[in-house]
Amino acid sequence: MTLLRHISQKLLINNIKTDTRYKINNTCVACVRLLNYTPKEYDTKTDPAPLFFNKEVQSLLKSLTRVEVAKVFKKRKLGEKRLGDPEFKFMTQEQLDVKLKKAQQKAEELLQIPPVLAVHAQKNKVYSQDPALQGLESSRFVFTDITFGVKDLDRLIVVRELDGTLKDAEWELRNRVNHVYFPRSGRSLKPPRVFEDGYLEDLLNRREYEFVLDLACSQFEPNEKDYQRVTSIVFQHLSDNDGFDLLRSTRHFGGLVFFLVWNKSIDNLLLDLIESSHVDEANKLMELYGKIHKLNYEFDGKLKAVRQFIEKDSTKRGALELAVQAYEELQKQKEQLESGIKAAHGIL
Amino acid sequence: MLSPASGTGQFFTKSVKIIRFVRQGCTNRPFFHIVVTEKRRDQFMPVIEQLGTYDPMPNQHNEKLVSLNYERIRHWIGNGATVSQPVEQLFGMSGFFPIHPTSYLAAWRNRRVLQEEALKEAEDKSKDKTV
Repeated sequence: MTLLRHISQKLLINNIKTDTRYKINNTCVACVRLLNYTPKEYDTKTDPAPLFFNKEVQSLLKSLTRVEVAKVFKKRKLGEKRLGDPEFKFMTQEQLDVKLKKAQQKAEELLQIPPVLAVHAQKNKVYSQDPALQGLESSRFVFTDITFGVKDLDRLIVVRELDGTLKDAEWELRNRVNHVYFPRSGRSLKPPRVFEDGYLEDLLNRREYEFVLDLACSQFEPNEKDYQRVTSIVFQHLSDNDGFDLLRSTRHFGGLVFFLVWNKSIDNLLLDLIESSHVDEANKLMELYGKIHKLNYEFDGKLKAVRQFIEKDSTKRGALELAVQAYEELQKQKEQLESGIKAAHGIL
Repeated sequence: MLSPASGTGQFFTKSVKIIRFVRQGCTNRPFFHIVVTEKRRDQFMPVIEQLGTYDPMPNQHNEKLVSLNYERIRHWIGNGATVSQPVEQLFGMSGFFPIHPTSYLAAWRNRRVLQEEALKEAEDKSKDKTV
């Protein structure tokens, strides 16, 4: 029997192998992307920045992050950095309060949401055109102003093309040159291969969402196309695979919520919130949704707004309705149980 | 003791200053610092201040990288420093100075050589066909 199973397994593996080979040889199939998510960048036509930096939106995003201090200060993958041994101290209550306050301040710092900005427009100012310089050089010149105290964004970087035009450098080149002359820690000259499709898919399947997002944060600027490509793919994958808990109490959860609300795909998140009976958070999410898409929902402290959303704007109606029903039944049972207990105690 | 490549900052007030290249790098791998120094000093003597760099070997994207500290360059030119010809050519390319006449000359010569080569090739081809 075991022999039979072994053989059948081998056969299956061989079949799979030949299948994949066939697919790779077939050009039609090979050109299909492995990751079937299309990147969704924030475009300049509708700039998300004013909405994102709105104080109310920020506080909503922060409260949706559901901060747990233990999770904020959890062990991280720091590469070669090793943590020292923990220190234990005796403290008075006052000292302890001071320490706790400090820890909370640090947690707030760590939980700053990366800004959500539109992808920057291409700089293409032409300073001069001189066709008489054609043939002088076989490679283009990149001139960088390294004056002290100029920000990376404002630095003058110009290119003398082979045909003699002098113009602003494109963003990709700007990033590269800025890194050559003013390197930043945690960033590399060439973006890590993690962000290429094949490797990214592997990481996403292993649910290393936080790692990818942290790396993207340190490698790219928030208004870069590459950053938004990576984060949007990660967010979509995460939302489809219910990985919300992995990102809670991290700085990326606010960005995730904003992305989902902006792209009108909050159904999975809402389902997660209702199933875990976080009604107040579901209401906050509805408030945020209403604010960003300029919709009016009525709030009654229960699930009224969610109901309205399900009727009008949801894409996963069936699942959401079921979840709401289940939640309400659970609530009813709890009430019954409570009243039963009270009756048994003779309180009534 | 070796003086820093960024310069010592020491000079005589009334001496003639020049903005020029200093060849750094090593054998078969040139790399230039753009510095301001006293004209009578040797290329490899301590400089007053480094003003930029120039990498004459194109990188993998076929670009030659130049960095210039325009603020300090302006300061030194304002204080009467002269500029050597190769650096003048570079400044011309960067749009900081007008294009140097020798750049136009070199470009014109290069174009002429290319044209001649193209003509030669065309002639050779036509000859091959007739034979």
